[in-house]
Amino acid sequence: MAEYDREEFARLPFKKKLANWAVSWGMVLPAIVFLLIFTIYPMFNIIRLSFFRGNALNPVKEFVGLDNYRQIFFVKTDFLTALKNTGYYTIVTLVVLITAALLFALWMQKDRKINNVAQVMFFTPHLVATISCAFIWTWLYNKNDYGLFNTVLELFHIPPQNWLSDSDLAMNGIIVMNVWKSIGYYALIILASLKTIPAEINEAAMLDQARGPRKFFKITLPLLSPQLFFILITITTGTFKVFDSIRIMTNGGPGDTTRVISMYIYDYAFQRNNTLGIASAAGVVLMVILILVTLVYFVFLEKRVHYQ
Amino acid sequence: MAEIKLNHVTKIFNRVKVIDGLDLVIPDGKFTVLVGPSGCGKTTVLRMIAGIGPATSGHIYMDGKDITDLDPGKRDIAMVFQNYAIYPTMTVRDNIEFGLKNRKVPKEEREKRISQVTKMVGLWEMLDRKPSTLSGGQRQRIALARAMVKNPKVFLMDEPLSNLDAKLRNSMRSELIEMHKKLKATFVYVTHDQVEAMAMADRIVLLNKGKIMQQGSPRELYQDPDNTFTAQFMGTPPMNVLDYGKDIQLGFRPERAVLTKEYPDGYAYVRKARTVTCEMLGSETVYKVEANGRTVMVKSRDCDFDAEQDCWLAVPDKYLLFFDGEGKRIRPKNEKERNECIKKIRGEKNGRI
Amino acid sequence: MMKRRLKRYLPSMPGDILKIIVMIIFAFPFYWMVITAFKPYFETIQMPPTLWPHDFTLDNLKEIFTGANNILQYAFNSIVVTVSVVVIQALVMIPAAYAFATREFPLKKLLFGIVLVAFMIPEQITYISVYLMFSDANMIDSLWPQILPFGANAFGIFMLRQSFKQINGEIFEAARMDNAGEWKIMMKVALPICRPTLIAAMMLSVIGIWNSYFWPLVMTNSDKFRPLTLYVEKLKQDVEQGLQWNMIMAGNMILVVPIIIIYCFGSKQIIKAFTYNGVK
Repeated sequence: MAEYDREEFARLPFKKKLANWAVSWGMVLPAIVFLLIFTIYPMFNIIRLSFFRGNALNPVKEFVGLDNYRQIFFVKTDFLTALKNTGYYTIVTLVVLITAALLFALWMQKDRKINNVAQVMFFTPHLVATISCAFIWTWLYNKNDYGLFNTVLELFHIPPQNWLSDSDLAMNGIIVMNVWKSIGYYALIILASLKTIPAEINEAAMLDQARGPRKFFKITLPLLSPQLFFILITITTGTFKVFDSIRIMTNGGPGDTTRVISMYIYDYAFQRNNTLGIASAAGVVLMVILILVTLVYFVFLEKRVHYQ
Repeated sequence: MAEIKLNHVTKIFNRVKVIDGLDLVIPDGKFTVLVGPSGCGKTTVLRMIAGIGPATSGHIYMDGKDITDLDPGKRDIAMVFQNYAIYPTMTVRDNIEFGLKNRKVPKEEREKRISQVTKMVGLWEMLDRKPSTLSGGQRQRIALARAMVKNPKVFLMDEPLSNLDAKLRNSMRSELIEMHKKLKATFVYVTHDQVEAMAMADRIVLLNKGKIMQQGSPRELYQDPDNTFTAQFMGTPPMNVLDYGKDIQLGFRPERAVLTKEYPDGYAYVRKARTVTCEMLGSETVYKVEANGRTVMVKSRDCDFDAEQDCWLAVPDKYLLFFDGEGKRIRPKNEKERNECIKKIRGEKNGRI
Repeated sequence: MMKRRLKRYLPSMPGDILKIIVMIIFAFPFYWMVITAFKPYFETIQMPPTLWPHDFTLDNLKEIFTGANNILQYAFNSIVVTVSVVVIQALVMIPAAYAFATREFPLKKLLFGIVLVAFMIPEQITYISVYLMFSDANMIDSLWPQILPFGANAFGIFMLRQSFKQINGEIFEAARMDNAGEWKIMMKVALPICRPTLIAAMMLSVIGIWNSYFWPLVMTNSDKFRPLTLYVEKLKQDVEQGLQWNMIMAGNMILVVPIIIIYCFGSKQIIKAFTYNGVK
């Protein structure tokens, strides 16, 4: 890189140094201004708002201290339900998605025409708006007998299911849709790093008589770990903000069984009276959880990640 | 045409003094080679002259003018990089033309220079091709053409041949020498390869750990080294340097030593020895020889010995060099000083060394 | 000869058949969307469902483009928002990524940290404050709240920075010796080398903005400033006698088609960029 290490700067007269820095700052300034206004300030502002009772017109109507937090954790039960639902959604999606993506990647690993077609096919849902996918799947899940899944069940003489309006099935139905939508994307990331594993390593493994699962766990998996680590973080942050699909497919129902934190925040922010502070408090909790989970990942997993 | 002068130049990099108070004059119109082991600072010196890695302190002059803080693009200096640094998205023509356009050279003049230069390096047919479609040797030529087209006073080259295969390297070597003769510009060439340095240079500057060990013509450095570092860096296998006590070392080149079966007469240095290994290189043979517990390399035009054979090792008087304990050359002014050196080596024993 | 090839192929046949079945499962929802868009209403609730429109009709599309509640304003909004965002992002992203990749300056680590944090923070956390800001400025009834908050694309900056970083340093030095100024080096030398990454970042951004639902949902109060995604959702709400799946799917199709077209043009770059992803 263009080397402007500290020692070289030391030589320049202060004016020149400053001019050089001013150019650099100028280059990053627009980006930083946008980020400060639309991400960093809102992040801190939401903490402030969580100490007030208010609404969209007057968000700081009354200072209530920690009362909003008391409300969501100890008075009402709907936040804890949302938290639980989000947790369930996150864990199931993480396990299913990573396993499935890994299997898909291994399955498409060979350089063959059919695999190239498959890659594009599996990737396509990722391009399509979540709400489009959600609509299509709602239609497929339709509880009336013209819903496609029920039609198929009928072929096997199984009684039709209330897919999305059954409190035991609804969340899983949403998870299936989102896994279907994302699997191609994550499989592609894993596939790419599979292809960067040098052929010699595979050959050496073969000479060492390592095959099948043993080779996979001892050789392939460690080499994939940086990508898997990245995927783990992306999926986790992604599942914490799931909104579009749930809003279209069940809108939180039946009952509260698919109400997740993002929907909770949405409902409380502007849809009700004077509950902006409660939404903000929920947002702060979401932020803290995100930070904690990321930290936990870095502390406990990064050591095991094998960087080449 | 330009002379370059470095005046007490220091370069600190990550808190380490890479170059420490270097004074160096690179003569006008000569082919100067900066050579040394990796990390010796040779590339750093080149980059300071180019202006792309400014010195921490000290001054650099070109024809007496201080260019220390001058922009690299305004120095009348062109550089050929180790990895060629070709702009991959531009055609051959655009690559060569880029610098001229930035210097606001008029279009006609640009066309004239480009055709002249590309014909010279043999790229005329490929002007509109992308570098990715060309071979390594051809890319090297783009880099050369890009430097030449600027008509610079000074050419800097940073190991330009290190990425070529051995055959191409040899032919490019002679092409570069011819190019220098034709252009008559000042060339500064960096390499870690002493053979390349000796083959190409009018003048060699040997660096080690940011300091000049010796400078001069290839012949001077080879035949008359100032210190054991120079003696051992130039030539393969390196000069044999034998330690005799704390303030005297004896050196001789492997090709000056002789192996005989019978006791040789008329040599200053004779030892009973035994060959350890024998490497047949074709026109010559390299022996590893053990004499009194010391290992010595011998290069011989004959191949009279096999490994593990007894023999005599002998060196003629005039090829013996003396160094002091720190490795600095001792040049005896007269017979008396010389005898003192010999005495030290001989120790208490009498007779030959 | 044929026989031998067949013999060698045979073991992988069951896997391939399974692969084709899975591919069909993946593609089927889209196929379903397209054929439903060309069915009349009564056929969508028919039992058993038809796998090809029995009464092929263009009425749904006609209704969407020319009906009382037509798509045109929404499509216009989507296009304006997407194009503006992409243009602003490119202008903001290129110099920032370049400076972070190649230049040294005080506060660099802190400022890049802001980029990384922004990359992690979901919109559910930021939107309340952003809404209040625009509401205070009386700008909710406009397209600005859908454009300005996306002016800096943190992920794009990160990706492009990685790409700039991978350029061999000698190239920058050669350009400096060629008397090129910093701006020229960035635009004429470095950016062309990173063009695939830039295009990929821009495409991902187009896809994200075009498909976004949550953000416009919370940032708009009137239909006049809503994008296509909200139009499709509205199709769901507008009917009384049950969901008109034929209309919803027709709207959906119009939402999806532009993205598929873009993907056809740039799938290579996208796949490259996805596989890149900054983790190395």
